[in-house]
Amino acid sequence: MKKIIFWLIITIFTLSLTLIGTAEEEVTITFWHTYNVESNEYITLKDVIIPKFEEENPNITVVEQQIPYGDFHTKLVTSIAGEIVPDVVRMDIIWVPEFAEMGALASVDSYGSFSTIAEQVFPGPLNTCKWGDSYFGLPLTTNTRILFWNKAMFEEAGIEGPPTTWDEFAGAAEKLTKPGEKWGLAIGDCSPWNFLPWIWSGGGDVTDEGITTATGYINGEDSVNAIQFIVDLFNKGYIADTIIGGGIGMQDGYANDVYGMFPGGPWFYGMIGGQFPNAEINTSLWPAGKGGSVSVIGGEDLVIFEGSENKEAAYKFVEFMVSEETQLILAETGQIPVLNTIAESDYIKNHAFYPIYLEQLKTAKARTVHPGWQRMDAAIKLGIEEAIHGVKTVQEALDGVANEINAIIEEYK
Amino acid sequence: MKKMRNKKKLFLEIYRNKHIYLFILVPMALFLTFVLYPICRSFFMSFYDWKIIGSSTFVGFKNYINAFNDPILNISWRNTIIYCLATVPGQMIFAMTAAILLNQKIKGRIFFRTLYFLPVVTSWVVVSFIFMYLFNSQAGLINYILKDILHITKQYYAWLSNGKSALFIIALLGIWKGIGWSMVIFLAGLQGIPEELYEAARIDGASQARLFWKITIPLMRSTLVYVLVMLIIGSFQVFISVYIMTDGGPMHQTEVVLTWLYTNAFSYLRFGYGSAIAVLMTVFIFIISIMQIKLLSKPVEY
Repeated sequence: MKKIIFWLIITIFTLSLTLIGTAEEEVTITFWHTYNVESNEYITLKDVIIPKFEEENPNITVVEQQIPYGDFHTKLVTSIAGEIVPDVVRMDIIWVPEFAEMGALASVDSYGSFSTIAEQVFPGPLNTCKWGDSYFGLPLTTNTRILFWNKAMFEEAGIEGPPTTWDEFAGAAEKLTKPGEKWGLAIGDCSPWNFLPWIWSGGGDVTDEGITTATGYINGEDSVNAIQFIVDLFNKGYIADTIIGGGIGMQDGYANDVYGMFPGGPWFYGMIGGQFPNAEINTSLWPAGKGGSVSVIGGEDLVIFEGSENKEAAYKFVEFMVSEETQLILAETGQIPVLNTIAESDYIKNHAFYPIYLEQLKTAKARTVHPGWQRMDAAIKLGIEEAIHGVKTVQEALDGVANEINAIIEEYK
Repeated sequence: MKKMRNKKKLFLEIYRNKHIYLFILVPMALFLTFVLYPICRSFFMSFYDWKIIGSSTFVGFKNYINAFNDPILNISWRNTIIYCLATVPGQMIFAMTAAILLNQKIKGRIFFRTLYFLPVVTSWVVVSFIFMYLFNSQAGLINYILKDILHITKQYYAWLSNGKSALFIIALLGIWKGIGWSMVIFLAGLQGIPEELYEAARIDGASQARLFWKITIPLMRSTLVYVLVMLIIGSFQVFISVYIMTDGGPMHQTEVVLTWLYTNAFSYLRFGYGSAIAVLMTVFIFIISIMQIKLLSKPVEY
């Protein structure tokens, strides 16, 4: 008798659980991102943005999940293979063509509000969402890299102001360096993220506009001269060993007057401010070369996965994130908005540090929008490493890179 | 009639031992799902240009041919073998020394045994970061000791920016982390050797060295072979320390087979190629293990 009652209770309990699940018409969407859980952005997302969205859309619940950036690409790939995908993802702009090409993303240009929004966002970031003839997402935030210079070190070395040309830059690097103690320049590693601004400002490029060949571009005269410029500075000892995998971090070196200059972005204010609240931060535009002052666009796009079962709700969330109110909230946490309506507003003009980024963004370029970019990135990084370590001459190294990139382009034809 | 009775006997036998089978059922299910099935599927995938969405094209042995012609994979094999040759003897020698020393009845021997075993149970990720900071080129403790305290070197050295020194540090980490495991097994082996053998040999006037080589080692033969095989298999699977400390760099000089496999599969999305590398690795380890066991195992004579 006891046994029967026991099993009866278990059965009723289990059944009621499943019934509860199907009772309401709620839709739940999952949102994956890489915000640091201790950062301002994350706290704002959790406490302000998502509750606001859920208030305006009472039948949609947003479940956000943080995944560290280093694992993110792998995590997305494995979730696709396992066929359990999130609904909305805040994805690095350089991955969108890759995931769009494999069919993992849903196109968004058929939604009603898309064309209106498309006109309001910056064209550069919007372009990173395009693959083939469709758009697979909307830009969420954008950023770029500018020069961070240490005023105290500059004054000590007797340099007037931040360098605006490559000659001034080389001169500053030399004066700021004290062998073994201080370095004029610190670069994080040999990746395109750090070197494309030099290549572009020098007048070079990775491939032609139609992405058909890299020969004559990545190994063309301007690109070679740009890389040679940095290699020379490294050989003279003006560049810290972070570029070859050693050394202390950018923010530690900058705040402690060890690094005179480094390429930084808006995220550094939080990083430096968090650890070294008394450090003074000064910025300037990227030193202009033959091609002008051209930096690299970074940022994230919001994409919807093809495997999502709640695409309508997902798009509502994306729409909400790109709306003017949310973009302003994001702007306050240090993420540059993508709407050109805000860019001209007084809020931005009076902001402590945004104006210079928007200035730099006017000429900034995006990295090659191609599904094989990850491999091209690795090829360029390897080539620059070979040049920096002196294993090959700059021309030889970049010739190798050109061949590698051509092979990759061939594979995706 | 007899067949029916035998069948009934079989079922009765199974039913009587049903609790044994139930116990085996769960691990067996886990093994089949998470070990055997992925291995078979991986083998299958290695013959395709595998796409995670959409259909994959059959390419036969193309992935394997690419694997044999891949210069970076060749560097990986070289580095993995160097790592194996450095860490396996390293671990065994230090472990045997520690085991013999800690087999004596000295004070604090349990404390030391625990201390040696602690690295074994720490997280690979954590110790990799710690070693990275220890050997940091600007702020690392090792450089500070070498230059500022002992005055052995004139400048701080960039340990992880150079293929050779980076591999040295990765091997150092591997040895340090693994000593305790071998030590514990050797201790158990040592304690299985009867004390009378040593006494008898000492009475006959044998030196410490002879005691070691003529009594200890031969009687520990099967233990030594077991540890050797396990350490070699383990050393080929080095991944986390390399991935975190150098990610195969600079310029693929510290690439090991598993890091290159990982990069190909998860960054470049070349799953077919990655599977082919995995299959080659499995075959290689399998052959080496079989060879070792056949060559080194001999029945023990007292």
